Amino acid sequence: MEEKIHIDWLSVILYIIIVLFGAMNIYSANSGLDEPLSLDFSKEYGKQVIWISISAIVVFLILLTDYKFFNFSAYGIYVIIIGMLLVLLATGSFNKGAQAWFKIGAFKLQPSEFAKYATALALAKFLGTFDIKFEGKRNQLICFGIILLPMLLTLLQNDTGSALVFTCFILVLFREGLSGWWLVLGFYLITIFVLTILIPSWYILLFLLVVLGAIFYFFRKQKQLVFVSVLIFLASTVYTIGLDFAFSKILKPHQQQRILVTLNQDVDEYYVNKQKGFSFFKFEKKADEKKSESKRDYSYNVRQSKISIGAGRWFGNGFNNGTQTKAKLVPEQHTDFIFCTVGEEWGFVGSTIFLIVYLVFIGRIFFLAERQKNIFSRVFGYCTGSIIFFHFFINIGMAIGVLPVIGIPLPFMSYGGSSLISFSMLLFTFLKLDANRINEISRLY
Amino acid sequence: MEKSNRLYVFLGALVLVGIIFITRLFFLQIIDTSNYYKAQAYGSNEITIYPARGTIVDRYGKLLVYNDASYDLMVVPQKAKDFDKAALCKELMIDTTEFNKRLKKAARYNPREASVIYKNLPFHLYTRLQEVLYQFPAFYIETKIDRRYNINGAAHLLGYMGEVNERELEKDKYYKPGDIKGITGLEKSYETFLRGIKGKKVVLVDKFSKTQGSFAGGKFDSLPTAGENIISSVDLDLQVYGEQLLANKTGSIVAIEPGTGEVLCLINNPNYDPNLLVGQQRNRNFSALLLDPSKPLFNRALKAPYPPGSTFKTVQALIALQEGVLTPATRYPCHGGYHMGSITVGCHPHASPLDLENSIAKSCNAYYCYVYRSVLDNPKYPSVQAAYTQWTKYLNSFGIGVKTGIDLPEESSGIVKKSNYFERVFGKNWRSSNVVSISIGQGEIGLTPLQMANVAAILANRGYYFTPHVIRTIGDKNIVPDDFKKKHYTLIDRRHFDSVIAGMAKVCIPGGTAGRTGITGIEICGKTGTAQNPHGKDHSIFIAFAPRHNPKIAICCIVENGGYGADYAAPIANLLIERYLATDKTAPSSKPEMQKRMLTANLTGAKISASDSLKALANKPK
Repeated sequence: MEEKIHIDWLSVILYIIIVLFGAMNIYSANSGLDEPLSLDFSKEYGKQVIWISISAIVVFLILLTDYKFFNFSAYGIYVIIIGMLLVLLATGSFNKGAQAWFKIGAFKLQPSEFAKYATALALAKFLGTFDIKFEGKRNQLICFGIILLPMLLTLLQNDTGSALVFTCFILVLFREGLSGWWLVLGFYLITIFVLTILIPSWYILLFLLVVLGAIFYFFRKQKQLVFVSVLIFLASTVYTIGLDFAFSKILKPHQQQRILVTLNQDVDEYYVNKQKGFSFFKFEKKADEKKSESKRDYSYNVRQSKISIGAGRWFGNGFNNGTQTKAKLVPEQHTDFIFCTVGEEWGFVGSTIFLIVYLVFIGRIFFLAERQKNIFSRVFGYCTGSIIFFHFFINIGMAIGVLPVIGIPLPFMSYGGSSLISFSMLLFTFLKLDANRINEISRLY
Repeated sequence: MEKSNRLYVFLGALVLVGIIFITRLFFLQIIDTSNYYKAQAYGSNEITIYPARGTIVDRYGKLLVYNDASYDLMVVPQKAKDFDKAALCKELMIDTTEFNKRLKKAARYNPREASVIYKNLPFHLYTRLQEVLYQFPAFYIETKIDRRYNINGAAHLLGYMGEVNERELEKDKYYKPGDIKGITGLEKSYETFLRGIKGKKVVLVDKFSKTQGSFAGGKFDSLPTAGENIISSVDLDLQVYGEQLLANKTGSIVAIEPGTGEVLCLINNPNYDPNLLVGQQRNRNFSALLLDPSKPLFNRALKAPYPPGSTFKTVQALIALQEGVLTPATRYPCHGGYHMGSITVGCHPHASPLDLENSIAKSCNAYYCYVYRSVLDNPKYPSVQAAYTQWTKYLNSFGIGVKTGIDLPEESSGIVKKSNYFERVFGKNWRSSNVVSISIGQGEIGLTPLQMANVAAILANRGYYFTPHVIRTIGDKNIVPDDFKKKHYTLIDRRHFDSVIAGMAKVCIPGGTAGRTGITGIEICGKTGTAQNPHGKDHSIFIAFAPRHNPKIAICCIVENGGYGADYAAPIANLLIERYLATDKTAPSSKPEMQKRMLTANLTGAKISASDSLKALANKPK
């Protein structure tokens, strides 16, 4: 029987639009002022053209590959990537404080970018295996294991940003039946985390105690509820004090400052308050020349990023005309802070259109994922959507100053070969699977 | 929940994130404009392009004041980090502590704005810095325009420039720290015309403050508009000649064109070279001038009230004529002076009695004691006090006791006491005899040289004056402020002037008080004055206008401790009149001996000499 390719053209078109728009912004951020429009392969915007070409070849190869290959070789790819991460840990060369690169000639390969792809394949493969049910405790543990292993290895490379991306697989597990309470719990824990930093810890404990008292008073007949409440209260207390301890004593100053900057705190003022019994633990400001440099850098990044975006006003300065962009005032503007260029040169109107296009693109992926008839494709689709969504959420949230500075790229937009190629692989592997869902059906019946 | 429905949780999350991000963007880009302005400040560096300050020429178009470029080293303190301080200090040839002090001062003013760190770079430093400055990105050189004066005197007239102070910075947003503006003289009075409109060039700078090119395609750039040129009313030749004549004497000369009120020369001695207050040595020179006991910075012509002495008799006569207590034919006796009880006002020997005309020509003191007492004891008024008050009103109409309104700063109104002043001194019912010394311009009366020159102009005009002013026109459109075109009439009728002027016309011809100082061929109407001075020798004073008919120049000359009016003031004034009215300015004086005597006379022994500066002037390119 002839296998037809029914690729989702909407996704492909959105992909092309985003990639080309990304290249334009990289050019703008990367080229000098009044530089004639040209292709210089020694510069990042020139290299990005190479990356786009390589991605196109990779995409072409993926579309030519038999769709069954991905299911078949999922574990193999996963094992290879884990092996690469281990090798990196042992021999990795230093780069930006994270041991995350393989040097291949003039180019650098970042396995952690591909680890997401491999993890998605492995997770899909596991959940797609016949007679595996996610509800089983053992299976759930295996799922978490598949996710946590590369996450831990990435974390050990000091690549906190990339490691955090792996938390997005929780969303996939949620789709596959993980209780929504886990998401509620996650939200609760993050809220307490933020509050612990912002207000004195004993305020939180006092508040929780009041809530507990209220439950005792109104629901004293329901023994079970009261019992659970007490347990939650005790756990929260331990968590709060633990967080306080961890933040005050374990985190390095530059890590503390990075969090503080994100939460819009004046770092110096914060330290003064902390020393006045803000925390249960004696707070030491580890004054270190280099660390205070980094403190300035994070706040600088965010401030410059906001100024740059704010400079765009309604319609922006126009392509290749952003003054902040051209003055190269935002560090990492062609990579993690590429959205600044969009904000400054295309303004509120352009940025909004861009965000909507991007969100439609992600929504389309989730929509396609849901219509898959086999579990492998569906899980892989949700993985694809969740990874892109998480990157999008963190990256733009950081650029507009609502989330911490976590250095992860904006998929298809930020400069970088590993990033563009791995995301293209992820997307087109899924589109290939989607294109063959008809064949899946016809094979089943 | 059916698991496939969880898709909607995902899609809902996308919509929520979209809404949050777009709202945040709306806040960042549309509502909060501070980012937009910060963007302009951060990514850009505004370089001020200073307009050429207007030049000043004399009434015949000879250049008085022009511009010359000077270079300041600027610093943006916030960006001045991580540079080789020692190397820069070595280039600038200053020590590091001084450098740090200046840097701190600049940072205190505004860390983000450029401030001057080294004013008026000498040319060799300027050229050297051009080569090495790229190593110090927070520093740049700003070209400013310095003033140059084509005359080594006239400082009180032209004024000088200086740095704006903090109060002025707040008051007028035109100025930036380190800017210079006119502090005195013409430079101050016409600052708003002379300064022009600043231009700016906004350049895009990167995080290293390196210029990347024009900011926003030059959208915010503007070209400077040069200041208006001013045609001064001053006659450079007359000014220089006057300074020569007044050299080594303390005093003042003011000459006015009666028909317009234009000041032809305004001379003070001690004087100073305005070029001293330009450039790198400015501060040192300024403190030297300030500490100089001869007070070269003091503008006598506008600020020093002198007793007018006998020159005041002209005014006294006019008031008395107007009041009807005197006629040209009135004669009063003089027996070596005016005697009344214990009071004696001495007089020099002359024929007696005299009529009005001859009382002026001979300057009879007794005559004016009678005249003034008749004014104050005029039965028309209920009391001496009322008559005195009316008399001060006459004076005010002459611009005496009030400011003339000249377009130069810090004018004094002179001294005219109010009636109640004498009540305090002499009791409630003081009498005309108490103030009799005023009749001959002594005692409780003081006129600035400018006011005396203005009186001469009023006499020349027979009853009115124009506000004295030191400009002819402003700018290309030849603007003349309306205030300067208005005639100010005195309270004296025109007909009363004839006899007084007839008397004045006799002063400079043999038989008059300055009979030997007259110039052949010019009918000079003058009046000498010898003002008693409790501190030393009398002041020599002379007011005059010429020619008698259709006057072209009114002048006042005061030489402190110069003795009789005829000794110095009259010869100097008459020499100036001669020079001003001469068609050929290079022609020798008809009184070479008098001229030589005036030029060489040294009454002060002061070292500051205008004639020295004139030598330098001769060597200057015109």
